[in-house]
Amino acid sequence: MYEEPGCFDPNNFTAEGAGSGFPQAVQKQFEENMDLSVDELSYHHHNHQEDAAVSAMESELQKHLAFKVENCDNNTHMLQQVVDDPNQLLSYDHANWNTGDIGFNQGDPEQNGHRSFNINSLPQTPDLLNLFHLPSSSLLPNSSISFANSNHDTTSLGFIKDLPASHSTSVLYDPLFHLNLPPQSPLFSELFQSIPQGYSLPTSRGGASSLFGDERDSSGVTAYQDGDGGMLEFTRDMACIVRRSETGKKKKPFTTERQRREQWNDKFEALRNMVPSPTKSDRASIVGDAIEYIKELLRTVNEIKLLAERKRCVRERSKRHKTEDDAGEDVKNCNIWPLGDPEQSYIGSLRSSWLQRKSKDTEVDVRIIDDEVTIKLFQRKKIDCLLFVSKVLEELKLDLHHVAGGHIGDYYSFLFNTKICEGSSLYAGAIANKVIEVMDREYAAVPPTSSY
Amino acid sequence: MDYKSKNLVAERKRRKKLGDRLLNLRALVPRITNMKKETIIEDAINYIQELQENVKFLTGKLQLLEVEPFSEEEANPKREETNTVEDMKKCGIQENVEVSYMSGNKVQIKIIFEKKRGKFTKLLEAITSRGFQLSDTSMTSSKGATLFSSFAEVTYDGTLAVEETRKSLLQIVRSMPQLCKKLDPGDCCLGGAKLGLSELNTYL
Repeated sequence: MYEEPGCFDPNNFTAEGAGSGFPQAVQKQFEENMDLSVDELSYHHHNHQEDAAVSAMESELQKHLAFKVENCDNNTHMLQQVVDDPNQLLSYDHANWNTGDIGFNQGDPEQNGHRSFNINSLPQTPDLLNLFHLPSSSLLPNSSISFANSNHDTTSLGFIKDLPASHSTSVLYDPLFHLNLPPQSPLFSELFQSIPQGYSLPTSRGGASSLFGDERDSSGVTAYQDGDGGMLEFTRDMACIVRRSETGKKKKPFTTERQRREQWNDKFEALRNMVPSPTKSDRASIVGDAIEYIKELLRTVNEIKLLAERKRCVRERSKRHKTEDDAGEDVKNCNIWPLGDPEQSYIGSLRSSWLQRKSKDTEVDVRIIDDEVTIKLFQRKKIDCLLFVSKVLEELKLDLHHVAGGHIGDYYSFLFNTKICEGSSLYAGAIANKVIEVMDREYAAVPPTSSY
Repeated sequence: MDYKSKNLVAERKRRKKLGDRLLNLRALVPRITNMKKETIIEDAINYIQELQENVKFLTGKLQLLEVEPFSEEEANPKREETNTVEDMKKCGIQENVEVSYMSGNKVQIKIIFEKKRGKFTKLLEAITSRGFQLSDTSMTSSKGATLFSSFAEVTYDGTLAVEETRKSLLQIVRSMPQLCKKLDPGDCCLGGAKLGLSELNTYL
């Protein structure tokens, strides 16, 4: 069942150009290799010829990796070997690949003997260790797998065998690896660096040493998080995991799955906190709220831009009028006039925006079309909202044209049709926020025992 | 079968719902780095932050523009205000207070008054301060006048007196122009004060 090393076709590599196609091919090859399964690994150790062949292929691989690396400076991919069942690992819903490195590592050097792959002792690729750092793109060009190891007659898969022996191994996996994504590293690294606090990201690789299992040897079954949030350690369960790979039923290491869930939940929480009026706290609702909020923000941005343009245009015009009055000549002002024209289309466009805000007892819906504002208010029945809202509207300089409303069950419900005063640059968000603020304040001010 | 959740279909639907929404979210965010579920949320968070800052920045700019009002803009509202009284006169609308008894403690109130900025608020203030509790209300304006109509629960020492209600409301309406004038120097209630109230109908 051992596939000939020829199956790992170096020609493939030569054919592949630099870029993501290369990793894909490599990955495929690795998958094939992985399919050999652990049971076959035992063959590797005893079959020196095979080892040599595999080493040869590894060196070939490394050459090509270097080639790839040189040619794609901005490649964000780091090719690492996956320990676990390749199909499982490559799937999206696997462990927290993106933010977490699963550092490829070896166990105790002394334990593994000739089978081990001690990265530390790789003379020709000492800097590979640093390359296990995750994505700042500057580091990536140097990344490669340190398989090729002519000094040791180990196989690329040999480390799997080490698992039972070693206390900890970790694997670095680049989630983007098997996708043919165009190089995006400037954005990628920027995004990684801009990830809000609370997410642990491997932005600083001071913890690179965590990659090395020798520091963790004694810990046996440990899960550790390298402050960067994702160094996952596979424990000796790995052996049985890999062995069970054929049975199809995967059991993940307990700790990493939990970490992954926790991190993911943190992200949902963070998203929820950004949204102004969150309702349910289940994941689908959070995402739904986020979608609505993004749309609302886009509308607000457009609205404010429009208002600013109008204001500016009005100013230009009135300035122009003043200078006309003063100067009394048209010639002077000709050059000012063209300024207005590019903005004409903007001014002519209808301003429309709406948004909703909810608080504990109040719900406000504000819609603006041109200069007419429609406000819907739902207030839990306790205070006389009509008066307060009316005051707020005066403050905001909105002319009330029509109001209708009354009791509906436990709530007051009102609809206000108002008009914005000429020249006022009020935007929907301001209205809604103000109304909610006042409502909440008044609601809170009423002693709880009174009721209408 | 041990591994299947009891309500497989519902679970699938739930997962699908979340997945679909995540896809929608990804569709909104302009910069995505990855196809993973986790990263889409990260990307969305960043994008939202960006948008929020953008909004802040733009509102700041807008407020800067707001700072200088122009004199001609202030002149316009005055013109509008004076027209309302004339409109009312043209259409024969007169200020009016009507109170009709419904049942129990409830009455229906109808008030017609001149439309001026701030009058409605004053009316509401006065009404509520006298202990009327409004249930279903409606206010609408046209032709320079405002019609306020509402159901109210009224109690005067435990008894309902329609006429007294009406009188007190009338009082309110009469006093409004003065109130308006005093309290809103910036706004223009000039029309009401100058012309005074037109004659009131008696009802009942």
